[in-house]
Amino acid sequence: MNDKIEAKNLSAQLQFRALGNPPSTLPNSAISNCCPGLEMDFRNAWKRIFVGIELHESSNFVVKVDPSAPELHELANNYQLMKVQGVPVMATATGPLIPDGPNVPLPDSDGDDALIPLEWSNVLAGVIYNSAGKLVECEFQSMDPPVRNLAFNLRVRNFFENAVIARDLLKPGELTQSLCSPWQNDYRECGCFYWAASRPDYVNVELSEDGNSIGHNWMQRDRTPETAKVYVSDDFLDERLLSYNDLFNGWEKALRFVIGNEDEPPIDGGPKK
Amino acid sequence: MRRKIAEIRLLPPLAIARLGSSPYPLVNYELKTPNDTGPRRIVPAPTIRVTRTTGHAELKTPKLPIEFRDPAGRIRPVAPFLELWMRFEGEQNLQPFTIDTLRSLRLSPASIRWRGHVENLKILRRTGDEKDRIKAETRPFSDHKVHELRGKCPNFLKGKSVPLGSLQYIVPSAELSGIRLRFTPAGGHVYGPPPSKADKDPLIKAAVYDGQKGSWKRYSEPTDTSQAPNQGRFLTSPPLIFAGETLDAGQPKQRLRSWGYFDDECDGIVEAELRLGSHSLFAFARIVAGPPTFAPDSLPIRSVADELEQAMFGPNVDKATLLEAAEIVRCALETVRLMNTAEMNQEGMARADTDIVKRALEPIFEPSVADSVAIRARHERILLALESGSLAWFARMLRHYDEVADFSTLGRRKMPGLMRGADGMHMALTRRQVSKIQKAAKSY
Repeated sequence: MNDKIEAKNLSAQLQFRALGNPPSTLPNSAISNCCPGLEMDFRNAWKRIFVGIELHESSNFVVKVDPSAPELHELANNYQLMKVQGVPVMATATGPLIPDGPNVPLPDSDGDDALIPLEWSNVLAGVIYNSAGKLVECEFQSMDPPVRNLAFNLRVRNFFENAVIARDLLKPGELTQSLCSPWQNDYRECGCFYWAASRPDYVNVELSEDGNSIGHNWMQRDRTPETAKVYVSDDFLDERLLSYNDLFNGWEKALRFVIGNEDEPPIDGGPKK
Repeated sequence: MRRKIAEIRLLPPLAIARLGSSPYPLVNYELKTPNDTGPRRIVPAPTIRVTRTTGHAELKTPKLPIEFRDPAGRIRPVAPFLELWMRFEGEQNLQPFTIDTLRSLRLSPASIRWRGHVENLKILRRTGDEKDRIKAETRPFSDHKVHELRGKCPNFLKGKSVPLGSLQYIVPSAELSGIRLRFTPAGGHVYGPPPSKADKDPLIKAAVYDGQKGSWKRYSEPTDTSQAPNQGRFLTSPPLIFAGETLDAGQPKQRLRSWGYFDDECDGIVEAELRLGSHSLFAFARIVAGPPTFAPDSLPIRSVADELEQAMFGPNVDKATLLEAAEIVRCALETVRLMNTAEMNQEGMARADTDIVKRALEPIFEPSVADSVAIRARHERILLALESGSLAWFARMLRHYDEVADFSTLGRRKMPGLMRGADGMHMALTRRQVSKIQKAAKSY
């Protein structure tokens, strides 16, 4: 047991592991490329970073304005944050429209140039660190025509109270509010299989004779040493894969642990092959 | 002269619990990082075994192998402890608050009072109806009973609630003298409204939501948000991430309508109050309940710890060790070893780029180099040869945070590859992680 931590050593407090707590209780076990996330949607931590407004958890839209700040009320009429201290918080998507074509601005679903809001964690990293408690210039633009531009000096909230995410930044329930409902949906429908620690994708992998890998999809029902190693591509209609219903009422016996690259054997009472 | 306590704190500041319906929580273990590129080893570590009925606890070290589920096949929940720490006036250091501290202050364990407040806002986040707020609070308590976090909601059926976990103040003892609270999460169940036709919905644990009072069962989102821009701006990102059925399939105004399902995840705050007669001191920490780690010997390449560290210390480091850089590379290896990179290269990520921004549909990497075994081998070589210049190469290959919307052939091949970030674009590490790798690369 640790017997002393310097009160100013917030890093040690952030990483503190209490006696008896497994490593999976620590923040380094929780993914933060949240789209929307598994343990929590950490994007929610930024939405109240500027005093007076509330931003969408995953975008630069202003979704609420503090009623006690009448000078900001116009921002409640569909505005988005464009720059903070002169730094753009959006980037234009560029790339080829045809294979091997030139890199050009890519269109969004409306046919306009796709302007992508950058994640707050990175784009605001300097502001949060250097300007916590201070006023910073924030530039906004209306989302509906005619285009209107507004600028306000907004105060940056302190992110922490000691080493805890500050109370006025995040209310109970908000860290998990934008996750899948129910959470099992994320295991079935998300097309991103890189959350290996929580949700493995490719298991029982070995090298085939042609030099490429073979193995099973972690969502395959039939995964035994005898099962042919053919990866079944994700398709929620494919009955060889676990279904939503398998997960809603039987996730504990349907989802199997993978430890040391070893796939856990099928669980009694789990879904049928 | 009796010393005065200047402040108290609860540690860890953010404790992650993991769902499971077993009544027997997961024991403690360590992740031992090997010298080679193999998986981390899971080895037993001192475990606090709590008697739920009394709150008494003892310290035991479990045997190998660590059992992640009980003999009935149920998953063992991860139920973290939160410790109370304190600082005396005039001192720089925090130290554990123990029964000895209590004695020195002529206080008893009952001088500590706890309370918890968690919520599940998944329905409210979608419907916007304040009556869809699921809230669980304990009364302040100083006893050692289990205090249920019972989630109540105005739009539930009369008398219904959902268990969101529980809190228990552990009895301090000579062996375990620290003051600690345990958060045990819920079972990971699905709840919903009563079915319209059948007597019982076999997919849910219990019918608790009143579809007559609340709109969650009727709630829908357009599958093409450009059809409803005003609603689309406020949907979750990604949208449509709830259980439901498609209405008007194949039509431009196709929508996903909710079945009214939700779960027992939650997050919130636990608070400790130290009552000192004339006044009280307070401390709080955050708790979250999420799904288990199904590959518990692996860690994610970009984690909540990285976000917190960057928020606290900024985007740049002055120096970094090879060990810090190696840990990032190891986490990347742990991700690719359980990921079908060839599939993501041709379909998953590649197709999503076309769906999101109409980029030409092409594999991201040359298919001949994107196979999982080949990519794993490349990461292993980098990890084994960090000091020989491979770290400098790796640092040059990293995607910067403002390059995430670069869908050019070279832009998509930057590292981390084949992964999506929190903005839905190709993933960048935190600027601080990038800075660490760059600084470590310069030093070696």
